Amino acid sequence: MTAPAAPITRPVAVPSDSPPPLRRRKPPSLHSTLSRVLIALIVIVQVYPLAWLFITSLRTEHDFATGDPFALPKSLTWENYARAFETGNLWLNILNSFIVTMGANVLIVLLGMMAAYALQVLGFRFSKFVRSLFLVGIIVPVQIALVPLFIDYSTINLLDTYPSMIIPLAGFALPMSIYLFSSFFEYIPRETYEAASLDGAGPYRIFGLITLPLSVNTVVTVVLVNSIFIWNDFIFANTFVLSEELKTIPLGLQNYIGAMGKTDWTATFAAVCITITPLLLVFLVLNKAMIQGLESGGSKG
Amino acid sequence: MLPNRSRLSVLVFLLPPLLLYCVAVLFPIVQSLFLSFFSWNGISDMEFVGLANYVRMLTADDIFWRSFFNALGYLAICLVLQLGGALLVASLLTSMRRGRELIKTLYLLPAVISTVAIAFLFVRIYSIEPVGLLNQLLHWIGLGALERPWLSDINTVLTAVSAPEGWRFTGLYMLIIYAALLSVPQELEEAARLDGASRWQLFTKIRFPHIMPVWITTTIMATTYGLRGFDIPYLMTNGGPGQSSELLTTYMYKTAFSSTDFGYASTIAVFIVVECLVAVGLILFLLKRKADA
Repeated sequence: MTAPAAPITRPVAVPSDSPPPLRRRKPPSLHSTLSRVLIALIVIVQVYPLAWLFITSLRTEHDFATGDPFALPKSLTWENYARAFETGNLWLNILNSFIVTMGANVLIVLLGMMAAYALQVLGFRFSKFVRSLFLVGIIVPVQIALVPLFIDYSTINLLDTYPSMIIPLAGFALPMSIYLFSSFFEYIPRETYEAASLDGAGPYRIFGLITLPLSVNTVVTVVLVNSIFIWNDFIFANTFVLSEELKTIPLGLQNYIGAMGKTDWTATFAAVCITITPLLLVFLVLNKAMIQGLESGGSKG
Repeated sequence: MLPNRSRLSVLVFLLPPLLLYCVAVLFPIVQSLFLSFFSWNGISDMEFVGLANYVRMLTADDIFWRSFFNALGYLAICLVLQLGGALLVASLLTSMRRGRELIKTLYLLPAVISTVAIAFLFVRIYSIEPVGLLNQLLHWIGLGALERPWLSDINTVLTAVSAPEGWRFTGLYMLIIYAALLSVPQELEEAARLDGASRWQLFTKIRFPHIMPVWITTTIMATTYGLRGFDIPYLMTNGGPGQSSELLTTYMYKTAFSSTDFGYASTIAVFIVVECLVAVGLILFLLKRKADA
């Protein structure tokens, strides 16, 4: 279904008799044509389903139920979007997702920065141990926390609240954030801190006046990368939230399935299109920053 | 270390993050371990059963083993699609001169979409009535005999629920591998080319060894993410038909929240953690040894 599952072998039909240095100057060789075709195919596999999703959201129901799925719609309609808003609480879902994403991001950035500052800049005797403690959170799957948190939340009446989603989302994202901030703090020269120290600045002022302002780029990276995962979180929301008023987008979308015995697919797709738009816009506008963040997040991990 | 830091300032900066982390991550791990020795349905009194849950899981629970092997299959498909696809596209991309940024963005696009949306999308792609994209495509290229309801056929359902997960994140790994490939020293490649190395040799002898550390990281990432895969199978088939697409994660979830067997669910959760740790250890052991050799 996805990218041709053929393993790492790529077409190596290279004419070996031509001297290598010349090959680069030649007009498109067989190899580069092949790789271009292959790339185009793979990109189509990645993008076409999403385009199809959007096109389907503009189809009439009749067209969807009877037509060839690849054909362009015979007529375009916005009716599906109207029905999508009637069926669910889309605005409320979007608002909830926004609150959860913001809340978790504030915690992730602020606490991540503080921990990295303590570990990387201040330093202390057990810092190695604390670091490895945080490493656990990167490897361990989130499912381990579901049952314990569910039980704890119900004892302290925290089930079905915003914090019930925000706490585990932030907690599990914290290690990566600490890691990104730590590796950025490494690049701030020691002399900067030493100079500030000599001028009498304590650890709090140094944090506020030097470390914090310098970290803006890393903050953007951390927020962008985490927002994708938090905005789309399904498992925590599905486990801890029951009432309609608190449902985030992934839960809200589920209401469309079989709501009336039979699923209204075109309206569902319209709802999907509406809910992916905010994140998609952010992604397309800031994709340079996001791509950079994802690259650096993995290549040093 | 800052010269005039106090012990208090370390605590001020360290305690709040550590507190959140303990509440959300560390304490639940310990609690799961604890619960796994009990039998408890959430209402009646907890009953200490020792290792009984583990014995039941490992020796008497067919569904558990079914889910375990399904999860391995799911992992294998995800890894091939994600890492194989990522390496292929990243390698191809380095030989292109224009449009790299555009392709990176497009390739990453599915990673931005929520799993619920992806599950809906793929339910329609696999559908047979009305005919979905996959069946229509097979029909066109003359493989009409393969048309089937992919999600209700017990032979195809596991592959069908794994593919969307692979599809979703291949762009992420591609970015990371691509960034690593760019860091391969040009002189090294030039020199090898002058010595008459083929593209394949260039790849296996120079590029791949050079990106080995990043490859290890991405393999670990993809493996741990694959082992915790949950959303898409849960949403698309809920483990069915029968148990043919049940993963350990979905089985654990149902044990906890449908059968409210918290003790046994914790046992399965502990197993998933151990499985992840073993997998990471194994990857480090195998790939590190290969890299050192």
